[in-house]
Amino acid sequence: MKYLLFLMTLWSAITSAQAPVTSADFEEQTISIALTQEPPQLNSMKATDQVSNFILPHIMEGLVRYDRRGRIVPGVAYKWEIDPDGMGATFWLRENALWSDGKPVTANDFVFAWRTTLAPETASEYAFILFPIKNAEAANKGKAKLTDIGVTAIDDYTIRVELERPTAYFIKLTAFATYFPVREDFFNSRGDSYAADAQDLLFNGPFRLTEWVHSASLKMEKNETYWDKEKITLNEINAAYITEDSRARLNLFIDGKIVHTRLDGETYKDALTQKQRIRSFSTGSIFFLEYNHRAGRITDNLNLRRAIQHTFDSDKFVNNVLATPGNLAAESLFPVWLQGVDDKFRKEYPAEVAVVNKGLAAEYLAKAKSELGIEEFPALILLSGNTPTATKQAEYLQGLLKSRLGLDIKIDKQTFKQRLAKMTSGDFDFVLAGWGPDFDDIMTFGDLFASWNLNNRGRYSNPDYDEQVRIALNNVDPKTRMEAMAKLQKIIHDDAVILPMYEQGVIYLMNSKVRGVVRRVVGPDPDYTYSRVIK
Amino acid sequence: MNQSYKPTKEDFQPAAKSVRAEQISRPSLSYWQDAWRRLKKNTRALISLYIIIGLALFTLAGPFLWNVDPALQDLNQISQAPSWPKQAILVDPYQRWGGIVLDNFPAEPDDYLDIIPAPTNLRVVDVATTKRVRITWDPVVGAGGYSVYRNQRAPETINDLGLPLGVTDGGNEVSFEDRLNLEQREYFYSIVPTDGFDESDTYITLVVLPDLAITMSEARERNLLAQDTKLGDSIAIEFHPFGTDYLGRDMLARLMEGAQVSLFIGIFAPLLFVLFGIIYGGFAGYFGGQFDSLLMRFADFVVALPFLLFMILFKIAFGIGPGESGVMPMLLALVLLGWPSTARLVRGQVLQIRENAFIEAARLLGAKDHYLIIRHIIPNTMGVILVTLTFAVPSAIFTEAFLSFIGMGVAPPTPSWGSMCNEGVKTMLSHPHELFFPALFISITVLAFNLLGDGLTEALDSRMRSKE
Repeated sequence: MKYLLFLMTLWSAITSAQAPVTSADFEEQTISIALTQEPPQLNSMKATDQVSNFILPHIMEGLVRYDRRGRIVPGVAYKWEIDPDGMGATFWLRENALWSDGKPVTANDFVFAWRTTLAPETASEYAFILFPIKNAEAANKGKAKLTDIGVTAIDDYTIRVELERPTAYFIKLTAFATYFPVREDFFNSRGDSYAADAQDLLFNGPFRLTEWVHSASLKMEKNETYWDKEKITLNEINAAYITEDSRARLNLFIDGKIVHTRLDGETYKDALTQKQRIRSFSTGSIFFLEYNHRAGRITDNLNLRRAIQHTFDSDKFVNNVLATPGNLAAESLFPVWLQGVDDKFRKEYPAEVAVVNKGLAAEYLAKAKSELGIEEFPALILLSGNTPTATKQAEYLQGLLKSRLGLDIKIDKQTFKQRLAKMTSGDFDFVLAGWGPDFDDIMTFGDLFASWNLNNRGRYSNPDYDEQVRIALNNVDPKTRMEAMAKLQKIIHDDAVILPMYEQGVIYLMNSKVRGVVRRVVGPDPDYTYSRVIK
Repeated sequence: MNQSYKPTKEDFQPAAKSVRAEQISRPSLSYWQDAWRRLKKNTRALISLYIIIGLALFTLAGPFLWNVDPALQDLNQISQAPSWPKQAILVDPYQRWGGIVLDNFPAEPDDYLDIIPAPTNLRVVDVATTKRVRITWDPVVGAGGYSVYRNQRAPETINDLGLPLGVTDGGNEVSFEDRLNLEQREYFYSIVPTDGFDESDTYITLVVLPDLAITMSEARERNLLAQDTKLGDSIAIEFHPFGTDYLGRDMLARLMEGAQVSLFIGIFAPLLFVLFGIIYGGFAGYFGGQFDSLLMRFADFVVALPFLLFMILFKIAFGIGPGESGVMPMLLALVLLGWPSTARLVRGQVLQIRENAFIEAARLLGAKDHYLIIRHIIPNTMGVILVTLTFAVPSAIFTEAFLSFIGMGVAPPTPSWGSMCNEGVKTMLSHPHELFFPALFISITVLAFNLLGDGLTEALDSRMRSKE
């Protein structure tokens, strides 16, 4: 699943329960923040939105977690072992991991949570993230019993997981919110109202949710029963405001009411004039021009795609068209932050970049014309979002393809939902699309254009590509997997499957009194768990 | 005692003949001649008329005189303010820069210091051009990396450093290359050392004024090269008297092209629906009775029809897909749904005028219906009509702007004044000219039509004749 890769600016009333005096208090070690939206509910088994995925890892903890540097470190499990054949894993749980009511977190809590998530009647949209577990997919589709799912509690503090196939990144998956534990007796006692309010939820994370005034505010306080509480300095995270309006949030920040706000194209210039210290961060998402590969489409023609590949200069695009700091020119489907064997993947396997060459592009275009048997290309439809940034990008491409290749492009501006519907039905020639990572493994991007992936909306289908994905899926040896991904990277380039445009960066403001806040590509972002307020 | 007058013979002599008993003191003027004469006396109206003629020339003849492609993008000159012609230096094509990484300095600090001192000796490497600015500095002990900021004015505090351009990931990576949308202006670069996570509170700032540069291949592509120009030479780059927009497109050419759409919609739609409204309202008002109520109820019905819905229906009926211009359905929708207001006003006027005594008199003298309508009624409603017309022009221009904004009007890259305004608003603070010019043109057009309308009202009002 992808994040909602778009920004909405709606005017919504700013509400505050009790406006704190300062956003960051050194004496009390408290901070205040603003949420963009209220979480629909905080049921870890069902959460899909970004706000829930920000709050949940603060108040709950899975078998493993991310540390300050984004590495996987022990969470509830103090150690784990992967079978040599990669077909299973065993986790040993620490006995001092407690729920907020003082009872220990046991293996059964994980088994219960995973089974419930996969139960068809739960209808969890993120159930697919559990699919590497044996029989999980079948159980989710109602073809296997929940008890057949490959997870068992050997005793209270040992979990045994059988996998459907070797999954190299399974450990990383267990840091994800859907893998968090849920205690059966508590869940049953709350029934439908589970996780709908602060007292309808049990916590085992660094913080506990103590107050939830609906559509107004949330408050998280340090969890005194957390096993690793010595590492937690912050006493309170007060989500005192909920507003989607970026300008309102900027004003709150300037007034010292909140410690963090994200800036957009409209607000960053105000922040500059207000003399605010702007920071930037790479979100790890990649944006690209996706072609419609369905048979009969003009864009199914490889030479046309190559002509475009030799026309578009992502470097120029990022510096002059996007023109906000933090964005990187994209060279591949894989962003630069992905880990390879020993170093970053892109350092080990540099992506091939097509040179911008007018003559070469014209050659490919002529080839495409003769292959298609046409004199002139018909007008092609470029599907785009309706935000100002998306419109600007679409207009740039339109002008570029017209002046360099003589292609007529019609821009079809649509809302996010409508764009997704049109992408699914194949009602486009090109689309400005993006993809954000779900977990910290190259496969979160790698299988995107596999013929079976429903998010492959251009319906690209190539047995070689599928083969490389299978190799990477079914092996645990990093070298073999990365080799396969490198081949896949080459296929994407040679076959011009997509036109990589940019790796997204965002700019934001952060109160300089708050230190140790981690910006994450995967996992909660921003992560205040290890942060502290300085004098 | 009646004493009557006794006529004398002289009384019966013919009076002295006056030769010039009846002389036409002024030349005979037709109604329109008279109106024109009075319009000419009205300076404001006359200036407005000239402005409108000027706008027509700007729209129709302008593109031939200023022969620039309005859709041509120039990434070297994005969002340029209006200026005199500029010179740029010819430079090599961009080469990737490895940067400067010191071998004799640790990448990660041995010890995390509370305060890391600011780096020193911040300087420019090579020549700073608008293609790239390369800076380097001396490393400081305790740094695990550096953050690079850029501002357009001298920073006053640590919070005023400007845009965060990027970070380097090691204490020994002491260089940075900035290529982010550089213009020919002063930039203040600041370097803040970090311990690898958090930034220190110290910084150093350097002022850089990059030279405007263009690469050989870009210049060749744009036909800016003369025979004997070589690297390092200055060449004149494209001149944009009104500046450029957010994709480096020439504003003047876009204004001219946009005028075609805006004035077409802004003038034709009101003319057509006002004309129809006059006829419709005139009929209803003049004949009155059952016929009138029938016509007016139909007008009420049309008022109730939603404009946007019709616009969408017409768009579908015309077979206009996404990304295609919706100007024709817009015109049709405006005309079909815009006339009732004029019709109502004209009807009201006609109802009032036809009861006037002079109409009765004319009728008694044998005037026919058509003569009455043309000679007496229409000229008397002219004031109302012109007011409606002059108000309809801006509202049509704004409707077009709104529809273009929601993607139902002109399709990019075709501009219209309205869509240019919508784009310009987004960068109002940083690049005001992108909003100012289209807004100015809309304002001038609207003002000119209003003043001319005022003048025409006075000139055409036959009652004004007697007041002179």
